[in-house]
Amino acid sequence: MEAFLRYWMLWPSVERFLKAYAWAWPLMEVLHFVGLCLLIGIVGMFDLRLLGFAKGIPVPTLRKLLPWGVFGFVLCAVSGLAFVTGIGANISIHPYVVLVNDVWLQWKLVFIVLAGLNLLAFHMTGASDAVEAVGAGQDAPRLAKVIAGASLFLWLGVMYFGRLIPWGQFGE
Amino acid sequence: MSFLDWLDNTSFVIWIRESTSVFAYPTIIAFHTFSLVLLVGLSCAVALRTLGVARDVPLPPLDRFFRLMWIGFWISAVSGVLLLASDVRGFLDNPVFYVKLASIAVGVFMVWMLRRLVFREAAEPGRRPISSAGKTVAAGVLVTWLVALTVGRVLAYDRFIQWQTAGATLVLAIVMLVAGFVGARALRATPAAAAPRTAR
Repeated sequence: MEAFLRYWMLWPSVERFLKAYAWAWPLMEVLHFVGLCLLIGIVGMFDLRLLGFAKGIPVPTLRKLLPWGVFGFVLCAVSGLAFVTGIGANISIHPYVVLVNDVWLQWKLVFIVLAGLNLLAFHMTGASDAVEAVGAGQDAPRLAKVIAGASLFLWLGVMYFGRLIPWGQFGE
Repeated sequence: MSFLDWLDNTSFVIWIRESTSVFAYPTIIAFHTFSLVLLVGLSCAVALRTLGVARDVPLPPLDRFFRLMWIGFWISAVSGVLLLASDVRGFLDNPVFYVKLASIAVGVFMVWMLRRLVFREAAEPGRRPISSAGKTVAAGVLVTWLVALTVGRVLAYDRFIQWQTAGATLVLAIVMLVAGFVGARALRATPAAAAPRTAR
């Protein structure tokens, strides 16, 4: 397992790219923050509506904004992968060593997986289809509300732990 | 003893600066990020709606999100002041810090204008299309926040990298914008993609 992760977590081409251009790392930071604003701003807006905030909005109409949240996720995923696989451009350490030592990175990854499972639950339990019928002024079903609340909590957690990563323990 | 000397040596500021607890500096900066989502994330979502994304979303109930944006602004301001206090000379000696403050001021003004122009219009019955002034301000919201975010991120780097990053961000933003427009147009031109749109 260790050999596998040590091999796949370090992308020398990304590291070289980040090292070669002084603007590359800060550009990735900008993309990560633009992405998180779009992702959590728009997903959060959707979750809040399901929880009953701004009830005048029919839920199906708000769905059309979600592709921009997905775009935000892509920006975060691409830049986040660059931070991990190319960490060597910033400090001389192997990403695997950071992964096994930095508890905040570990928590962040756990929360991202949980947010993904939560999204899966939203679609698999039929909550996603059920909210299609939630018009202006109507309440979402209880299950959809629980999933929306979990989504808000999990994404806030992802942000919190993500912010703490630089203060975590990097080496042994 | 000057005000800055006094501030530097208050026990609270020393705690923010020197404590190894995650509840000191790291948690304050995390709140700065939460509030970024409230102010910038939500106002960008509303700006996108104004520009025609998800155009079926009615504007009047969307107005409620402005309250959350202002809450975000105040959390940002308080956490920002605490972060500033942790290294007050470092920030005040850095000219880029003033560029950040100025772009935030413009951004907040843009959000305020967006509400005035678009949501006051929306409240008048029978006025469905959003005025071009409203759309211009919505685009202004997006551009200003991108500038503020970029400036905020590069604050810690040296001047050369700051300019390079600003240039790289600008180039990438233009490339993405052009690719997005061309892509959207190409999708719309495909009959297969247009069919479900007309069927609804």
